[in-house]
Amino acid sequence: MGLLAPLFLLGLAGLVVPIVVHLTERQRRQVVDFPSLMFLRQIPFRSSRRKKIHHWALLAIRALALALLVAAFSRPFFENDVVGIGSTGGPREVVVVLDRSYSMGYGDRWERAKTQAREVFEGLGAQDRASLVLMSRGAEAVLRATSDRDRLLAALDTTSVSADGTLYGPALKLAQTILDESEPQYQREVVIISDFQRNGWKGDEGVTFPPGTLVSPVLISDETTPNATVASVTLRRDFFSGQERMTAEARVVRRGGEAPVDLSIVLEIDGQEVQTQTVHLESTGSAVVTFEAFTLSDVYTRGSIRIDPDALPQDDEFHFVLSPGRAMRTIVLEGANPQQDASFYIETAHISEEASFDVEVRRSTSLSAADLASTDVVILNDIPFPQGAAGDRLRRFVEEGGGLLLVLGERSAWQTGLEEILPGRFGPARNHSRGAARLGRLDRSHPVFEAFAGPRSGDFSRARFFRSRDLELVPEGRGLAWFDDGSVALAERRLGEGTVLVWTSTMDRYWNDLAVQPVFLPFIHGLMRHLSGYQERVPWFTIGQVLDLADPAGLVFVADRETELPPDVDLVALTPGGGSVALPATAGPRFLELEEPGFYPVRPPGTNPARPFAVAVNVDVAESELEAMDPEELAAAVAPRETGVVIGAGGETLSVEMQERNQERRQSLWRLLMVAALVLLLIETAISNWISRTTTTRFEHGRSYVPSNT
Amino acid sequence: MAVRERSSIHGADTQFLDPAILSRINGLDLLARTVVDGFLQGIHRSPHLGLSLDFAEHRQYMPGDDIRRIDWKLYGRTDRFYLKLFEAETSANFVIALDISKSMSFGTHAVTKLDYARYLAAALSFFSQKQRDRVGLATFDHEIVEYIPPSTRHLQRILHVLTRAEPGRPGVLRDPLMRLGDNLHHRGIILVISDFYEEPEQVIDSIRHLRARGHDVIVFHVLDPAELEFPFESAASFRDMESDKMIPIVPDRLATEYRALIGEHTEELARLFTGSRIDYTVLDTSKPLDHALFQYLSSREKLARVR
Repeated sequence: MGLLAPLFLLGLAGLVVPIVVHLTERQRRQVVDFPSLMFLRQIPFRSSRRKKIHHWALLAIRALALALLVAAFSRPFFENDVVGIGSTGGPREVVVVLDRSYSMGYGDRWERAKTQAREVFEGLGAQDRASLVLMSRGAEAVLRATSDRDRLLAALDTTSVSADGTLYGPALKLAQTILDESEPQYQREVVIISDFQRNGWKGDEGVTFPPGTLVSPVLISDETTPNATVASVTLRRDFFSGQERMTAEARVVRRGGEAPVDLSIVLEIDGQEVQTQTVHLESTGSAVVTFEAFTLSDVYTRGSIRIDPDALPQDDEFHFVLSPGRAMRTIVLEGANPQQDASFYIETAHISEEASFDVEVRRSTSLSAADLASTDVVILNDIPFPQGAAGDRLRRFVEEGGGLLLVLGERSAWQTGLEEILPGRFGPARNHSRGAARLGRLDRSHPVFEAFAGPRSGDFSRARFFRSRDLELVPEGRGLAWFDDGSVALAERRLGEGTVLVWTSTMDRYWNDLAVQPVFLPFIHGLMRHLSGYQERVPWFTIGQVLDLADPAGLVFVADRETELPPDVDLVALTPGGGSVALPATAGPRFLELEEPGFYPVRPPGTNPARPFAVAVNVDVAESELEAMDPEELAAAVAPRETGVVIGAGGETLSVEMQERNQERRQSLWRLLMVAALVLLLIETAISNWISRTTTTRFEHGRSYVPSNT
Repeated sequence: MAVRERSSIHGADTQFLDPAILSRINGLDLLARTVVDGFLQGIHRSPHLGLSLDFAEHRQYMPGDDIRRIDWKLYGRTDRFYLKLFEAETSANFVIALDISKSMSFGTHAVTKLDYARYLAAALSFFSQKQRDRVGLATFDHEIVEYIPPSTRHLQRILHVLTRAEPGRPGVLRDPLMRLGDNLHHRGIILVISDFYEEPEQVIDSIRHLRARGHDVIVFHVLDPAELEFPFESAASFRDMESDKMIPIVPDRLATEYRALIGEHTEELARLFTGSRIDYTVLDTSKPLDHALFQYLSSREKLARVR
């Protein structure tokens, strides 16, 4: 037996009221003015008479009614039923979903959460079963449906907070599965112990617990959650005096603080602190810090940006790995007698701040095998497609992953067999009617036009096209841009691993003026990136991602020297926490799960290269947003459909079905007490009225003796 | 106001002497006149009791006149009954000492003790005025509050003071009555009206002082029926009206003893007053005024015979 509102028991002190009234007020309520107490004082005073209680039954009824009212307001309930939440006397199937996302590492949240889980396990009955599900972005069932309380507690002790974010869906789905598999005699219950971060709840998780399941969210929270985060880092690469330089820019966000602070932000390169800056942050605000550019000379250069540690240290560091950029080699063939400045604009357009293109213009029509081996893109600028062996080499070059761009001009000529290489059959040059044509339609979803996908991000219609060649697409060809008369301006064909693009007009100013339009430069860059298969290197990954070190396509993102990760050599990855992950040579994938923030160097076992291949891993900064959702909202979403959810005492959330069936039973005692009190009060009213009537007669008689002037 | 004839003092219809009815009359002048005229006609006696020897005139006999005053010589000549009227004389000083202490405001009947005493004093003043007495008044509590020296022309002042008399302070008999006795240089009749909530010895000591100065003293002990019967039933806190002290009382246990005590008190007072040749009368405010008036009349007659 317990009390929901034990403070109401203080009302029992009111029991003295009717007793005092019976003893004292009865005499004091009536004052009679009398001319003189001269004779009354001479009469011996009998105190026993004064203290006599005249109506014992009335006093008892009043005291009992008051005690019952106090007891009713104290909301008594049966504790046995709390332990057996939702039970009808049978065993329970309890699933404890314990949030281990890194936000639970804030302050002492994790210890509090484990204490809550421990209490649940310790409260299990002999016939009850419990499961422990750890929740982060993924879900892990540490123990399933066991009655061994010691194992549960031991498993709980081994758990630790992770560096991952929060996703409620997988863990709740796992809990649902466990409950679905439980036998019907078990009363199902889910205890969700979490800080209930809003960003982990999407609302469409599709989790619905079996009917009769009691959902009990346990909110682990703090009154205030001041937290500073390195929210994002931007790395800009440029070249200066032949050296590649990197500029790091960090955005720092502070939330929930009470007073402005000055934060120190440190940039570390290869473990050495190279720069420190200080920013002034309000209680809630953000700032962007730009560090001085540093020279990037070595591969796998490890960098970190960190701020002063706070209650949530996981989001106070941001790691990245950088390697010097690799220039993509492009050869432009313009023939022996090209038009004046035929390739000028193409060559000029390749010069960019990123300096990732190395352009060579040749006045020839063929390339050697050695040239092609070190070339990423070949541009045939208004020359016929090479014949014979040169043509075959060029075709193989494309099929092996190279890029080929045909720029059609006066000297371009259709040849038999090109229909197997090009996206379409081009015809003779023609002038456009009414002076000039415009680019009427672009496939902005294509990577070539990726830079122009957004609104007002490039106006191709300003370019005038006076002359072009018609292109009749073959089935394998795909149009990417069209003139306003419907003829194709740009077409693509995938050939083996490579790509062939055909531009039906020139890249100079003879047939059009596109080269002098603002869109020309990003257009050329888009063409080159697409043809070369250029991929931006990924300087960091996020906790929870899995890297397949056996996938060459995937390694493009992270490795410059694929040969360092040969598939036939055993590898080992060192985790930031000091552990190691074996990556044995295998024909299949070699997955590296990124579970800790920091750097994962990967090398063959027993070797110690100076700069091994490494990847940087950061926490999901979305987790650092500590705003909590209403546990009721989540509980209502996952509760059995036929029920709703209400918050019970102590922050416990109970389904309405349980509320009506269980809580009503546990707490229905107050109603009985209230009814009993009301009945007693009715009886008291009747009795007191009867007494009052008799007393009133005497009293009114007595009132006539009150002096008329009083 | 019509005043009907009364047959006799003992069997009189005392409707117009009932304090409850008198309390409806505004103005002590009218009240006193009503009381006195009604009373005198009821007892069939002449209001003029003066003993003057100076002949004034004859008046035809009227029923109720004292047959001893019939002029038999004139009857012999005229065969008609005539009374010999004499010039009325101012026979005595008549001073009323009225207790207006706070305890006199007690009343459970139609009137308070002070009202009852007020009516009584007014009626007797009026009566004495008609009697050619010099009438005076002293109201007191623990000191003399108002004092009107006896005079034949002070009736209206007396009535006015009686009207305005308000109880409010505790009362003590000795000091004001001593002061009153000092102020009265001529012997006369002093009527003391009080509830006498003092020990009988203290009371008699206070009044004996007046008697020692040669005054004829008449004492009216005015008590409310509740003071005599103590009919309270409900337990209550009883508060002394003069001292404001309170004691809890369960009346049903105390009433008998109280009645015995008040009885002993009045008996002791009566014994002491009688021993000092002072007329002492207990007046119940629920009773008509005729009892008091008749008591006064008897005392005056007795005093006249004594003289």
